[in-house]
Amino acid sequence: MAEAAEANDGVKESVAVAGPPGVLRDRYTIRSNQPIPELSTPNAEAFVAEDKRDTNRQLYALICRPELPPRVNVMRALKGLQAPGLVQLVEWGAMNWPPLGRQCMTVVYERPVGKRMMTSLRQEFRRIDEYDIGRKVIEPLMAAIKELTNRGITHRAIRATNLFYMDDAGERLALGDCVSTPPAFDQPLVFESVEAGMANPVARGSGTYSDDLYALGVTIIFVYLGRNPVAHMDEETLLKMKIQQGSYATLVGDERLPLALVELLRGLLCDDPDQRWNIEALDLWLSGRRLSPLQQRVEKRAARGFPFNGKEYFNCRELAQAMARNWEAAIPPILEGKLELWLRRAVEDKDRAQVVSDVVRMALTGSGDKRSASDLMLCKVLNILDPTAPIRYKGFNAMPDGFGSALAAVMAQKGDTRLLVEIILREVPRLWFEARHSYLPDNSLMEGNFRELKGYLSQTGMGFGLERCLYELNDALPCQSPLLGEDYVVELKELLPALNAVAAKRSDPKQLPVDRHIAAFMGARARSDIDRNLTGLNDPEPSKSLVALLNMYAVFQYRLGPESLPGLTAWCGALAGPVVGAFHSRDRRKELEKELPKIIRRGSIVEIYNLLENQESRDKDHNEFAWAQAQYQAAEDEIRRVQTDMDERHDEGDRAGRQAAAVIGILIAMITTTIVVILKVW
Amino acid sequence: MAKKVSAVKQAQAQAAAKAKKGGGGGANKIVVLMILAALIPFSLPTVTLLFFCGLPTLGAWAGEKGKHKYAWLCVGGLNFAGIIPYLFDLWFGVHTLDEAFNMLSEASVLLWAYGASAIGWVLYMGTPPIVKSWLAFTNDRRVSALKSAQKRLIEEWGPEVTKKG
Repeated sequence: MAEAAEANDGVKESVAVAGPPGVLRDRYTIRSNQPIPELSTPNAEAFVAEDKRDTNRQLYALICRPELPPRVNVMRALKGLQAPGLVQLVEWGAMNWPPLGRQCMTVVYERPVGKRMMTSLRQEFRRIDEYDIGRKVIEPLMAAIKELTNRGITHRAIRATNLFYMDDAGERLALGDCVSTPPAFDQPLVFESVEAGMANPVARGSGTYSDDLYALGVTIIFVYLGRNPVAHMDEETLLKMKIQQGSYATLVGDERLPLALVELLRGLLCDDPDQRWNIEALDLWLSGRRLSPLQQRVEKRAARGFPFNGKEYFNCRELAQAMARNWEAAIPPILEGKLELWLRRAVEDKDRAQVVSDVVRMALTGSGDKRSASDLMLCKVLNILDPTAPIRYKGFNAMPDGFGSALAAVMAQKGDTRLLVEIILREVPRLWFEARHSYLPDNSLMEGNFRELKGYLSQTGMGFGLERCLYELNDALPCQSPLLGEDYVVELKELLPALNAVAAKRSDPKQLPVDRHIAAFMGARARSDIDRNLTGLNDPEPSKSLVALLNMYAVFQYRLGPESLPGLTAWCGALAGPVVGAFHSRDRRKELEKELPKIIRRGSIVEIYNLLENQESRDKDHNEFAWAQAQYQAAEDEIRRVQTDMDERHDEGDRAGRQAAAVIGILIAMITTTIVVILKVW
Repeated sequence: MAKKVSAVKQAQAQAAAKAKKGGGGGANKIVVLMILAALIPFSLPTVTLLFFCGLPTLGAWAGEKGKHKYAWLCVGGLNFAGIIPYLFDLWFGVHTLDEAFNMLSEASVLLWAYGASAIGWVLYMGTPPIVKSWLAFTNDRRVSALKSAQKRLIEEWGPEVTKKG
């Protein structure tokens, strides 16, 4: 990837695509037939942009690649910012881009008047001498870094090929785009510190301002020399040299530099992030205070090399890097105890040897899957050998804060996510955090986040799983739901309008207005905990799952608007059959069916929810239905009793008949006696 | 309900036990029969008339089996209604045994007495089927009323109302 980035780092040959222009926020017209190859980045093409309100304004737009997550948070922070060392980010947003026929993230920048300082890593350009370098390069770039640091963001695209002259005279330099791709994705390895360089380009993470200062140091060397001093090296060799000799020695080599620059570069290119110069040190340097140059502390060289994969390695960091690249081959020598022996005897680091020994013993004696235990053992051993390196697991190397963009890229390219899932489930990041020597609050936060991700992965329903991890890790990633088509939904408030827009286009009438991506997106973006509703969404009973969905949509519509969503309301209303059917009373059902079209016309999901999920009405229906059931059963029992006791009833009738006859006989006797008495006496 | 049934059973068992012992019930009957026997010399003509005219009643009493005997009451009632005018003639006329036999020798007396008994038999035979028909009719009406109530419930709540809650 890094090689590809380097190869692409030159000006891209863009093919002019004829077609209608794109319009961003009804103001900026992006001319798709006027590409600007010289302003394109390795992963974003540049086009002429026009401001409808100020047609004389010189602008250009970068169209981001849909499969790479852009840095939306940084866009928000940089919009409108006018800093001396930064090309002004004028506007950003998702825009329908006719050449691709879909929505693309677009970033509009102020167009530099001058050219790019260096168009490719192999190109030589006009150098800036030591007298001008402070004013022209260091001061504006440091101001830019300061500005970014104050806003809590990093640039991660500081490189000579991303520097532009903002005037014809070549006096004013500014840094170009840093938001169209994941942090440091376009950075050639030479501009990255050893640790970040070890990570996959997409997983380098936002890092800290210290990474920007390192990149500034490398950029200063390039600008001072007017060329790339390590152009002859491939990335693997360059990383190896940086590990073995240190960044400063590798990049400066035998070049003769002024003493002031030596001090500055030793400070900025220090491979120990704790010792590397910070903004204050750089400020002091600029104000003229000179310090003794930092001496590079190179890792202790072993007395004898560790033979691995046909080569001999003399220091732990280099060996760890080689082992991370040859995962399968690395396990046997560690399990055989060769590494422990080497650490003990050749490196003479008994503490580290003991820790490795303990880790190996645990892997050998532990119960469970041996293969998995070996992988985790190697992961731990790599952390012990090189604690500053990224999380390394089976060839995937990521800084903890770069894991999200890596996952986003893999999922956008529909790649194999099994390795990333395995990393989360086996708690590989935890091993990395445990290997930290000092406490960092950010690390605790990230470790907690990874623990939560494991919890999400263990639930497979809608709203959880890998999709949830994706949105939890990338808080500015647009919703990837195929239901939304090409709509670019970054914030929760944009979701319902987007669904409302696609409601008319849906082909399957039974399709719910939700899928795994939308559910996960809601779960990650909602400020309140909606996991209970998401669990309800997975209920096998369609009525319950629809009610859970309506509940969430109703809350979002109530809180975030808009007031009327007729398309989405009609969509939900068309699916309300099971919820209406959940009412037992036919009269109530008819009532609801009569009421629904009125609410649909008003476009209120809140009202639909209130209508369908009226607890009082539901309880009443439930109780009355139970009463009706009891009535029915009582009638049934009585009918059965009447029909089954025929013999008994026959006997009873017979007896009653005979009794009646007896009574009639007696009555006749009495009446007759009375009549006779009356006749005889009177 | 179970307690009530057991109470009834207990009472029945006690009564049966008393009957076995030959207690108060049997003694009462003997006392009554002795009193009636003592009255015979004073009202022999009445007894004679009643005996001969009341033979259908005796027959009904003797002929009916089972615990509950109703035939003699029905037949006896009408039989008595047929005799009573002649009894009054005997009591308010000449109350002698000869007169009693004279009456018995008249065909009309026996015809009335036995004819009325025959009507009693007809009544006794005819009433139970009528009562049974009436009972069947009311049962049918009840079942149809219940079924129409069930139908109304199904119309209002759907077929699921037939399932037990």
